[in-house]
Amino acid sequence: MILYLVLVVGLIIAMLAGPYFLGRRRVSRAVNEPYECGIVPVGSAQYRVPIPFYLFAIFFVIFDLEAVFLYAWSVAVKEVGWAGFIEALVFIVILLVALLYLWRMGALDWRTTRQKRDRARVQPR
Amino acid sequence: MLNLLWLVPFFPFLGFVLLVSTSGKMPKPWTTMIGAGSIGLAALTTALIAYEFLSQDMTSFQLHLWTWMEAGNFAPGFSLYLDGLALSMLFVITGVGFLIHIYASGYMYDDEDFPRFFTYTNLFVAAMVMLVLADNLVLLFLGWEGVGLCSFLLIGFWYKDPANGLAARKAFVVTRVGDTAFAIGLFLLYKHVGTLDIQEAMIKAKLLWTEDNATASLICALLLGGAVGKSAQLPLQTWLPDAMAGPTPVSALIHAATMVTAGVYLIARNHELFLLSPDMMYAVAVVGVLTLLMSGFTALTQSDLKRVLAYSTISQIGYMFLALGVGAWSSAIFHLMTHAFFKALLFLTAGTIILSLHHEQNIFKMGGLVKRLPLPCILFFIGCLGLIAVPPTSGFWSKEQILNATWESSTGGPLIWLGAVLGAFMTALYTTRMFCIVFLGPSNGDVHEPKGFKFVAPLVVLAFLALVGGVFVETAWQLPLSNVFPGGHAPHPPTVIVVIAIATPFLGIAISYLFYGKRVFSAEKFANSALMKPLKTFFDSGWAMDWFYDLLLVKPYQWLAKINKKDCVNLLPDASSAAAKILHAALSMTQNGQLRLYVGVMGTAALFVIFVVVFL
Amino acid sequence: MTIEELIALVPLLVVASISVILMLVVSFVRHHRLISLITLAGFIAAGIMVFQSMGQPAIQITPLIILDDFSRFFIVMTCFASVPAVLLAYDYLRRSEDLKEEYYMLLSLAVLGAVVLAASNHFASFFIGVELLSVSLFAMVGYMVHGEHKRVSTLEASIKYMILSGVSSSFLLFGVALIYLNFGVLTFEGIQQKILNGTLNGYGMMGIAMLLIGVGFKLSWVPFHMWTPDVYEGAPVPVTAFLATISKVIVFALGLRFLHESGALGLFNVQAALAFIGVLSMLVGNGLALMQDNLKRLLAYSSIAHFGYLIIALIAASSASATNKALAMEAVGFYLVAYVVTTWVAFGALSALSQPEHGIEAENLKDYRGLFWQRPWLAAIFSVALLSLAGVPLTAGFIAKFYVFAAGASYTLWFLLGILIISSAIGLYYYLKVIMEMCKPAEDENDFQKAAIPFENKLILLVMTAFVLYLGISPQALIESLNSAIKVLM
Repeated sequence: MILYLVLVVGLIIAMLAGPYFLGRRRVSRAVNEPYECGIVPVGSAQYRVPIPFYLFAIFFVIFDLEAVFLYAWSVAVKEVGWAGFIEALVFIVILLVALLYLWRMGALDWRTTRQKRDRARVQPR
Repeated sequence: MLNLLWLVPFFPFLGFVLLVSTSGKMPKPWTTMIGAGSIGLAALTTALIAYEFLSQDMTSFQLHLWTWMEAGNFAPGFSLYLDGLALSMLFVITGVGFLIHIYASGYMYDDEDFPRFFTYTNLFVAAMVMLVLADNLVLLFLGWEGVGLCSFLLIGFWYKDPANGLAARKAFVVTRVGDTAFAIGLFLLYKHVGTLDIQEAMIKAKLLWTEDNATASLICALLLGGAVGKSAQLPLQTWLPDAMAGPTPVSALIHAATMVTAGVYLIARNHELFLLSPDMMYAVAVVGVLTLLMSGFTALTQSDLKRVLAYSTISQIGYMFLALGVGAWSSAIFHLMTHAFFKALLFLTAGTIILSLHHEQNIFKMGGLVKRLPLPCILFFIGCLGLIAVPPTSGFWSKEQILNATWESSTGGPLIWLGAVLGAFMTALYTTRMFCIVFLGPSNGDVHEPKGFKFVAPLVVLAFLALVGGVFVETAWQLPLSNVFPGGHAPHPPTVIVVIAIATPFLGIAISYLFYGKRVFSAEKFANSALMKPLKTFFDSGWAMDWFYDLLLVKPYQWLAKINKKDCVNLLPDASSAAAKILHAALSMTQNGQLRLYVGVMGTAALFVIFVVVFL
Repeated sequence: MTIEELIALVPLLVVASISVILMLVVSFVRHHRLISLITLAGFIAAGIMVFQSMGQPAIQITPLIILDDFSRFFIVMTCFASVPAVLLAYDYLRRSEDLKEEYYMLLSLAVLGAVVLAASNHFASFFIGVELLSVSLFAMVGYMVHGEHKRVSTLEASIKYMILSGVSSSFLLFGVALIYLNFGVLTFEGIQQKILNGTLNGYGMMGIAMLLIGVGFKLSWVPFHMWTPDVYEGAPVPVTAFLATISKVIVFALGLRFLHESGALGLFNVQAALAFIGVLSMLVGNGLALMQDNLKRLLAYSSIAHFGYLIIALIAASSASATNKALAMEAVGFYLVAYVVTTWVAFGALSALSQPEHGIEAENLKDYRGLFWQRPWLAAIFSVALLSLAGVPLTAGFIAKFYVFAAGASYTLWFLLGILIISSAIGLYYYLKVIMEMCKPAEDENDFQKAAIPFENKLILLVMTAFVLYLGISPQALIESLNSAIKVLM
């Protein structure tokens, strides 16, 4: 095990140190480009995306992941019987409550703040 | 009913807490109600408990309140232990204490710090009761230090005058010497018997040591050191006269009736230990007799009314020590009780007189008060009778017991007896002198006597007790001490001895009256004669003890402090605090708020921990 | 799962259901007081239920959860110590501009994590508990970031805590994996048998070391303490208080159970590493606090030192003699309770002077100048807390420290006890410095000391101070219940 550790550390050091000594260093603008030998990028990579995109991405990941657990249940649905059913039910209910909460919070509303404000101006409640 | 014993210290403590938490914002009548009422309730509880305790003929009663903590085999508990000795003390503390509190509520009423006074006195009573009821020595020590603290606070009650502060400091420092000895004695006792429970320690000590054992003697000597400091006996008596700087009710409560007798209580409580060491018993007797003689002479030359009383207190406690030394335990406690009656009476009456004369304490500026202050005069007269031990006042009975026991005891003997009788003669001398100078002779100055229930009732009760308390105890109602102390036959010295002991005070009265009352002989001429003058100066300064201590201890200490201004002992603490600061400065640099440093430190540390666990 | 097991599990289910119920309620009505009352009721109900079942035989529910007196003791403590967390948060949130209701969901999830930790004797539930607790705490630390008067350091603290906690969780998880690699079991007791069989090898040792690192991070043992002051300072007072009390105490209780039940505590190397960490924690914690004039940072450093003291009792718990072992475990239990109670008083006092509506917390030493003259009661209560932290007699802290000392002495850990004494002396300095500051005459008009203290805050201060004094004067009741709680571990 110690030998293994030494090998690992040694390999890493060798890999990092090798290019440092062997490689030729040249300083020019092109070196710092993301794609040194490809299409020249246009504009900034840091542009602003509306926040609902981000939220939706997160929701998708969360609910998708949670749904994966149901696959595990579906494989063993006969073996776990009613107890498993109840447990899965509890799980689904919690997911539903979470979805309800998000819905009521307005997190599923596909509009920017400005759009919401505009609509409120058009149709005053 | 007995299970309510905890209420006795609780009431005064509650009073203290209430007074402290309102920090003097309460109306004065309420303050009085709480301050004096708490002591009254404690006294009432004591009376009820005493009734039950005595009617059931109990030997002792232990009330286990709670075990503080049990860690391994270390389990100190809060327990109260009541026996005849503790009960007698409780009577004095709560009973006389209550009367003094009533008086004080009148005496201190116009003081701007009226609530503070009761705050301190309530704490004092609580601590004193704890001291008396403690069943282990730690609790006893706690009460012991508590009363010391209250004494300090109350002597310096009028702290705006620096002299009072100095007196308080002196009292604190001098008693501290005794306390240190006491604490060392406790440690030593614990080291040898392995328990701090008083009763258990006594039993174990008896099994462990035979008579005249050196260790037992050493422990007794250290305990005696503590007792001597607290009870203002030779050689630590110098603080008590200065302690008169406190308000007069304080002098009555703490410096006459209760706290200063704590030393007597301590020795009585540990009497089984002292019985193992006859040498120390003898030492106690010698300390007592020397103190009573010395302070008797000094009292004869004083001109301050309260200082005369202070020296007489020292001398009367000397009698108690003598009684302890000769093994007359019950007589010591009996004298403690009667002394509390007549000395509290004397102090409180002195307070009335001082108040009437606009805070004049010099007896030579009083004079002729018999016409102008008739009631205080009668009361003071009764107190004086008790102090001189004129039959059949209370002081007579207790003092007679002590003198008789001294004659017969193996640790007493004729020589000591002679000293004690001479002391009785001196007592008569200075007491009569004081009375004559204050009340007889030409009158001067105007008088403004404070009137009212609070000023009269406690004094009348105390006077009654001082008059008949002794007869009562002697004939009808014995102190419940027979179960506490080893019984012995009542001493019966030859009749001539008894007669001498009884007659001597009368001789003293007569001589003193000729000097100061009738003025047949001139006291001034006598005192100013070539032979007596230096002697008078010597006595007046309290046998130059203050000067002696000043020369021996204070001056060298100040000199040492001066040359050691930089304090070489302090170098080590200074160095360590500097080291701590350097440590702090070095460590502070690591907390620079940068996350990458934090992660880096954590990673390195993780490597280190893994190394220690896996490869060490 | 039998009915008995289900019944025993009810308190945990109650705590778990609080957050779901809150989500449902918040979906329809946003009512701050209602939400806080539901949370409060849930915690108290769970606490009482578990308290009722104290003394009953231990129940193992699935391999993950064990309900014995040890875990019951700490569940009860968690539930009741969460009550002030709710009250303090209610008072704080009411005066701030942020969304209020979601905080209670996070809080109840964190408490659920703590409860699971207290009842865990399996690495799966251990990890779930730790993550529930920490992930909720990330959000709680950075909770109040909206509004005009937000405090700037909050978000920074949250991110720091999240990243560093992530690092520590990875250590934890890797450690668990290595332990499984070595032993092939994930229950604490299973490991003990394997260690007795002699199957322990380097992987297992490394796994145990990594667990120590993970736990050490949560307890802010030196040298894993770097996050503590920044997070304490940045988080809002109620969160800091929760972080300082429940989250640490429960992790320590679990650490004790793991190290003891798995038998890892008896390994010399583990003891050496613990002693090393302990010495560093005591010295560095107190050393850092010495000249500190930000009270939240000061309390952070002092908590580092306190968990350093606890290591002494932890090592002593490996004693072979049953009485000494019991003594050490009692010491741990008592210390944890005393620490929680005292810390609540300290943070309650801090919160009493804070003004969240202006984004200001009373964290600077000079805010306390002259407090004794302005608000004598509050100053007295705060002094009690500081004295208890310093370990002055008649407070809970003294008994706790005395206990630790007795435990260390019974195992003859003289070196560690020497460090304990030295660092306590340093500690006394900075605690007294705060009291001195409060005694100084007030300099000028101090706005902090003027505002009225809300009722909830007063309640916390009074009750917790009463506890500190009660435990200091008559600790026997707690000692006895601790006695029965540790019996299951013997």
